[in-house]
Amino acid sequence: MTPTAPAAVTPAVAARTPARVRPPLVRPTEGRVAGGVAVGLAAHLGVSLTLVRVGLVLLTVLGGGAGILLYVWLWALVPTSEHVPTVADAVDPATGRDPLPRNASPASVAGPSGPPGGPARRPARPRVSQARLGDILLGGLLLFAGLSIAGARFGWDVNAGLLVPVVVVLGGAVLAYSQLDEVERSRWAERSGVQTRAAVLRIVGGLVLVLVGVLLVVVRGGDPAYAGRVLVAVLTVLGGAGLVLAPWGLRLWRDLDTERSARVREAERADIAAHLHDSVLQTLALIQRSAADPAQVARLARAQERDLRDWLYGARPEDAATMLAAAVRQVTADVEDRFGVAVEVVVVGDRQLDERTAVLVAALREACVNAVRHAGAPVTVYVESGPDGVEAFVRDRGPGFDPDAVPADRLGVRESIVGRMQRHRGSATIRSLTGDGTEVRLDMPDERPDADRPDPGSTGAADPAVPQTQEAPR
Amino acid sequence: MSPGPLRLVIVDDHAMVRSGVRTELSSDPAIEVVAEAADVEQAVAAVHATRPDVVLLDVHLPGGTVRPGGSEVLQRCADLLAAQPADGGPSVRFLALSVSDAAEDVIAVIRAGARGYVTKTISGPDLASAVHRVAEGDAVFSPRLAGFVLDAFGTGAGEVAAVEDELDRLSQREREVMRLIARGYAYKEVAKELFISVKTVETHVSAVLRKLQLSSRYELTRWAADRRLL
Repeated sequence: MTPTAPAAVTPAVAARTPARVRPPLVRPTEGRVAGGVAVGLAAHLGVSLTLVRVGLVLLTVLGGGAGILLYVWLWALVPTSEHVPTVADAVDPATGRDPLPRNASPASVAGPSGPPGGPARRPARPRVSQARLGDILLGGLLLFAGLSIAGARFGWDVNAGLLVPVVVVLGGAVLAYSQLDEVERSRWAERSGVQTRAAVLRIVGGLVLVLVGVLLVVVRGGDPAYAGRVLVAVLTVLGGAGLVLAPWGLRLWRDLDTERSARVREAERADIAAHLHDSVLQTLALIQRSAADPAQVARLARAQERDLRDWLYGARPEDAATMLAAAVRQVTADVEDRFGVAVEVVVVGDRQLDERTAVLVAALREACVNAVRHAGAPVTVYVESGPDGVEAFVRDRGPGFDPDAVPADRLGVRESIVGRMQRHRGSATIRSLTGDGTEVRLDMPDERPDADRPDPGSTGAADPAVPQTQEAPR
Repeated sequence: MSPGPLRLVIVDDHAMVRSGVRTELSSDPAIEVVAEAADVEQAVAAVHATRPDVVLLDVHLPGGTVRPGGSEVLQRCADLLAAQPADGGPSVRFLALSVSDAAEDVIAVIRAGARGYVTKTISGPDLASAVHRVAEGDAVFSPRLAGFVLDAFGTGAGEVAAVEDELDRLSQREREVMRLIARGYAYKEVAKELFISVKTVETHVSAVLRKLQLSSRYELTRWAADRRLL
């Protein structure tokens, strides 16, 4: 390991200065013997492959297995690649930015400088430079520790009692610092008061705890207290690590949360946009085109209004096949669309559609058609589903007519309304009040097993005076 | 009621709706629009400043903290809603005007003190007569509101009050009146149909309005609780 990047240079500047471009450190799959580490290292350092291999072997033999350790470490941390990297790979063609942080620690290479198309971290410029600074410090510390240990082997007297705490403190500081990316740091710096102080306190506290814990482990005192001290030390180290890692975890969680809610919002917005586009915008375009035809405009506007209401207030048009209220709304909507006359619908209660209520809905449709054709707006439809059956009223404000005077060949009223209802043991009555319009009343009482109820087939039944206290035998 | 034309305040956040309503009501010389307001703050200020006879109140208003905005206007004008406000002036009556189909929004403004509810599709003359009716202290129910009432009081399911003044159910007569209104009958036609006077119809409708505002029936209280009206 040869530290090349001078730590004094501002990392951002170093990153942009293509002084000497190296190919990224990867493990190529081609030409490898074992893990591809030696091949990659050779390409990265620009030395011969044989030299690297010999160096590794020498390190293993003379350095007490250090070569194997290094190999395994690189194998674990360096990403793989299809081919042996070249200098061209070092410069990202998309941005022109050098994706490879050239520094002492190969650990950083595994991160931001993945091979093109590899699992790249998000390209946050400040992060790269900071991660780099941290890595440089970390690498320096490791180098320092290694040299000290090596020195101690060769007889230099290194004061371990002093060295280790210093190394630990520095390492902790680097860790804590590298946890915060620039955005976070500047955000904390902008805020005044408690929050910033709390953050600083947290980091400093964490570092102190780490230090204390490590010192407790290192400075082994008398035996009796040893076990207890180790326990305290472990707890302290864990607590310190938790404190130091807390902001990072918090940030990760918050980012995730923000992203998730943003995704939900985005999906909602897309849903609304799609609906508005498919319906409202189309209708508005149609309306502009048919501006000369007021009836058409009114029809379009009314249909669109209904559609939008269904959507906004959660009506489920797909229920029209199974539920009474939805079926009634659909039928009246059809009539509105066909004749361009507004039909106001009020439905009280709801129930499953069965054969007989479907008949009632069909008769209701005929009554509506009749009303809009002969009377025009406003037409009011009222449907009530009660415990004893279904009642429906269609009211218009037309001139009114005498039902008995309707010619026999007019199938509309006689057959499709009255006859249809009677065939299914329901009833239909038509009341025409001259000047006050016409009201068609449709009645479809539930059929009961007990026979002591009046024949529902007779017209004009279901007087409101029928005792309501009667318990429905259901 | 003060002599002279009926004084009206129009509250709606859409300028187009305000001018439309103003135009439709301009054919009635007995109605004078004294102010317009576009949000909750403006509405509360305008109502207190002008002390109108009737406020035509949009259910969904921007501003304020309570949803729907219309009910917040009512809450903050509660001092003027009483039959005899503390300052001795005439009381102010509110008529809700909305395009909303959501029952809970409508019920919320009624429970907050509105004397009626009409949809924005109402015709000009009908709106004018509704305003007059509210000014005289009566309740105004559209067919849709009558449908909500029948649903909310379980009347459709056959629940009828045994005692006339039971709050949680409608009486037999009130039910008949509500059903006729839901069927599109005007008060006059309801009276004719039931062989009672228009005054009696109005009494029944006002009684239903009172129940709507005071009942602790589950469906109503749930709507109210959701909107922090209780």
